Amino acid sequence: MAYKPQYCAGQTIVAANRRKQMDPAHKLSKLRDVTDKDLVLIMGHRAPGSAYKSAHPPLSEQQEPACPIRKMVTPTDGAKAGDRVRYIQFADSMYNAPCHPYLRSYLESYRFRGIDPGTLSGRQIVECRERDLEKYAKDLVNTELFDPALVSVRGCTVHGHSLRLDENGMMFDMLQRCILDKKSGIVKYVKDQVGVPLDTEVKVGKPMDAKWIKANSTIYHSLVGTAYRDDAELIEYIQRIHSLRVKYGFMPKEA
Amino acid sequence: MTEATFPQCRIVTERLLNPDTTERLLNKVVSVAGVRRMVLNGPRLPLTVPYGPSKGIDNPHPMRKTIRVGDQEIPLQVHVGTVLLEIESRDVIPALKAAIEPVFPDFTFYIQEGRYMKTEPSLVDYCKYGPNADKEMLGLSDPSSKSKPIILQGIK
Repeated sequence: MAYKPQYCAGQTIVAANRRKQMDPAHKLSKLRDVTDKDLVLIMGHRAPGSAYKSAHPPLSEQQEPACPIRKMVTPTDGAKAGDRVRYIQFADSMYNAPCHPYLRSYLESYRFRGIDPGTLSGRQIVECRERDLEKYAKDLVNTELFDPALVSVRGCTVHGHSLRLDENGMMFDMLQRCILDKKSGIVKYVKDQVGVPLDTEVKVGKPMDAKWIKANSTIYHSLVGTAYRDDAELIEYIQRIHSLRVKYGFMPKEA
Repeated sequence: MTEATFPQCRIVTERLLNPDTTERLLNKVVSVAGVRRMVLNGPRLPLTVPYGPSKGIDNPHPMRKTIRVGDQEIPLQVHVGTVLLEIESRDVIPALKAAIEPVFPDFTFYIQEGRYMKTEPSLVDYCKYGPNADKEMLGLSDPSSKSKPIILQGIK
């Protein structure tokens, strides 16, 4: 029988959402339309429309050593062109953000090629060749992985993940990169991801409503969502892993 | 002199407070007799970006405003999340709760009794203020900070 990945244990909606996001066969639903130019502005690595800077000549122009691995692996567009490696970093609020750092790294590894994800407690960074990054960033911002209020693109000064939301429902940001326009209800980026003011505002759409947030959360939270201890299957799985890890030094043998 | 016996409590809200809500809250708090000292806690909102690639540039922030409490202007330096209070007796707490309840129609809050402010000088306080530190100032701000506590006058 062919191997069928299960992605994540659990019986709750949170676990189901995690599985959905990790499964590359599931097409992420598109919720907003942030343009390529807007994403380039938010990331701030190059001016929109300018040429990609390169770290090395295109692969077609340079002599490659005879290597069976290089023959097997098709380079990504960015690698082919010799682009620089650049990054995008997300901070996710623990108040039911639709994605979270560990899950981001998992899903990116399942869905994208040529990436180097870095997972931290409240933020997650992904590095790759610049033109690949722009393609991936579109998926990360325009789909169900993003919510303008609870997820934020932050290259530095990321503090906000574990803080209470503000009265407008936005995650705390010391640099206030994005603001909620109270009249239109739309979230606008006024600074790029490292806090340099933008010449033009970048609109990323309205924050999702409470019902959607709760139905699409991938974070367990006993006060505002699904409690971890309510997921018996996941608890059983975690306890098993924990037990096996503890016993590992003693050569565990399963019955 | 601050006596170690003065009770302390803190107001914790479900959301971080906007400056206008903070202003309304503090005006309610100072209207209750028996509040001795107060600290506004929350994540800091610096005037300039303190680190990172954009270090040194201005950091305009809508949550950093000057509010008016009693007759005194208070420039906020933090996004207020918790208000620590030192009160004259535990009897003040019910009155405090009743006074601030109307400020939060949209979200919840609670008042906890405990010990949240310094009552004795620490080693760092000793280094900064010396042996004769004014005990009323202890615990109100970081000893290394140059800012001074604000005295709310004319509220009694």
